Amino acid sequence: MAKVVIENLYKIYSGEKGREVTAVDNANLVIQDREFVVLVGPSGCGKSTTLRMIAGLEDITKGDIFIDDVRVNDVPPKDRDIAMVFQNYALYPHMTVYKNMAFGLELRKFPKAEIDKRVRDAAAILGLTDDMLERKPKALSGGQRQRVAVGRAIVRKPKVFLFDEPLSNLDAKMRVQMRTEISKLHTRLATTMIYVTHDQVEAMTMGDRIVVMKDGVIQQQAAPLEIYNNPANAFVAGFIGSPAMNFLNGTIVEKSGDLYFAEDSAANGALLKLEPEQARKADAYLGRSVIFGIRPEDLQDRLYVANSDPGHTFSVTVEVIEPMGAETYLYLTTGAHSLISRSQVQLKVEVNSTIELVANIKRAHLFDAARKSDFAKPNGELDTDKWHAACPLIF
Amino acid sequence: MRLTTPTTVTVKAVGREKLELPKHLFVLAVLAIELLPFYMMLQISFKNNVMFNANPWLPILPGATLVENFRFAYHLILPYAANTIFVSVTAATANLFFAILAAYFFARYKMPFSNVLWSAFLTLMLIPSVTNIVPLFTLLKKLNLLNSLWGLIAVAVASGQVFNIFVLRNFIEDLPRDLFEAAEMDGAGHWKQIIHIVIPLSGPIIGTLFILSFLGCWNDFLMPLIILRDPQLFTLGVGLIYLDGDYAKDWGHIMAAFFMASLPLLIMFLFTMKLFIRGLSAGALKG
Repeated sequence: MAKVVIENLYKIYSGEKGREVTAVDNANLVIQDREFVVLVGPSGCGKSTTLRMIAGLEDITKGDIFIDDVRVNDVPPKDRDIAMVFQNYALYPHMTVYKNMAFGLELRKFPKAEIDKRVRDAAAILGLTDDMLERKPKALSGGQRQRVAVGRAIVRKPKVFLFDEPLSNLDAKMRVQMRTEISKLHTRLATTMIYVTHDQVEAMTMGDRIVVMKDGVIQQQAAPLEIYNNPANAFVAGFIGSPAMNFLNGTIVEKSGDLYFAEDSAANGALLKLEPEQARKADAYLGRSVIFGIRPEDLQDRLYVANSDPGHTFSVTVEVIEPMGAETYLYLTTGAHSLISRSQVQLKVEVNSTIELVANIKRAHLFDAARKSDFAKPNGELDTDKWHAACPLIF
Repeated sequence: MRLTTPTTVTVKAVGREKLELPKHLFVLAVLAIELLPFYMMLQISFKNNVMFNANPWLPILPGATLVENFRFAYHLILPYAANTIFVSVTAATANLFFAILAAYFFARYKMPFSNVLWSAFLTLMLIPSVTNIVPLFTLLKKLNLLNSLWGLIAVAVASGQVFNIFVLRNFIEDLPRDLFEAAEMDGAGHWKQIIHIVIPLSGPIIGTLFILSFLGCWNDFLMPLIILRDPQLFTLGVGLIYLDGDYAKDWGHIMAAFFMASLPLLIMFLFTMKLFIRGLSAGALKG
């Protein structure tokens, strides 16, 4: 049990031809005792590097890490009293499961009886049978191996648990099962846990708090639903949530005293009337480029919505229909933008038909669009993620 | 239809067998050439000079000569074999010990100019060992290691380093980095990582390198010839050439001694062949 504090943390690698690559850029984070924090972001966002710096496996270029108010920058990993579960399990292939779990305690010269008790307790918690304890890791399934890896961490009773994408090598079913088991384990052990994943579903379901990273920069840190409902910028909005939030590029226009979002489109683009509260916030952006964001569940076929406001309705063409049983995904296009609608009913629509879509405008978001030309890749294409990260939330 | 299908298969199989036969003959011929010296050594060790001159090629039934030849060889070889075993085991063990430490460093740690250091180190492999003989001799003389088994061991340990480190470094680099990091988190320092991770996981390759180092020392002729003076310090390589008498060669004695000298290696190879082959092919496949 421990509080972990990260202050002004940087990790800079020297790349090819002396070019420097900033993997972690001025990260600041306070992880409370017993908190379950999930670092999430796309590949190369610096989440694993941050975790590895907390573990002591990576040198810190600049900044400080404190565990229980002790600065640990120069403390070797073995003396930080933390345990880590690796993506590839990192089980010692030549040792039995028992020995794998006992290894850390043996090195720390624990009495044999104590080691045996702790290993068997951990095995019981994780559902590892006595027979499994005598097997080598190669004789176990992926899920069982991951359990052993977790077991190896919990026998040490460390102050902090670190998980580096521990479920990404498991199949979908096992991933869901292990996800709940790790959550249960957190409740049971009541220990600080820091969990790295690129899977936003894991982040949403497991963490007390989510830290979204992109290009080494922390984009937002908040409780899962807070991030879902109030994303700090368009990148966070697009990254958290599945299917991802729909984005329409456009401008704020005024019509008969009301403010509208007008989609950038050749003809008949969406024109959506903003709510008074939203209009007040958007007023300063009149005539400026903005990004309109709306989640798939907030776009519904007009035929299935009672009392729909014509100001919140626009036409789209159906491209693909995905009936999932409990819900239906519609892949749509306005002509200029692709959209996804998620509906709880089994819709009766046809591909290539045009339907009227109603936006639940109260739950829509507006982002201040940064200049696209500043976010071009070397090949001239727009780096959408980078651009979105530079588009802050207006409402 | 049911009859024709098996017929086709049979024809194909016979065709393949016909192709296989020349291959088999070729392999057998190569094997015969390889085994010829061994055969000659064995069958001559059954004979004395009179028998050998009368019938140099064909084997004879073992008789009293065989016992006499091998008794002679046994007494002659025993001290040489003891020296050779001492030198080979000590040198191969020390060789591997230092090579593992160096390979671990080169594989796991990058420091400024470590690539330059590694390249410089590898160029040592390109220098023919014979070119070092004179400076080596002078060095050993200054260190007072001439005419000593320790001198021989020191040279064997030093000269085997580059190759062993080269092989081991590549092998250790291929071990998953996570394992070392997991061990580090578990509380293992460098020594413990070497003992608990590197050595167990590099078993086949370490075994192979040990065998190669051991063979190198066992078969070495040049260094013992230069370093050793006293006959009681001789290893097998030098010891056996003194059998080559000044005026007459006793072929039966010579061949019996040669046979006995090669016997430990044969036995060792038979028992370690699986390990040896596994080591040679290690890293060929991932997984």
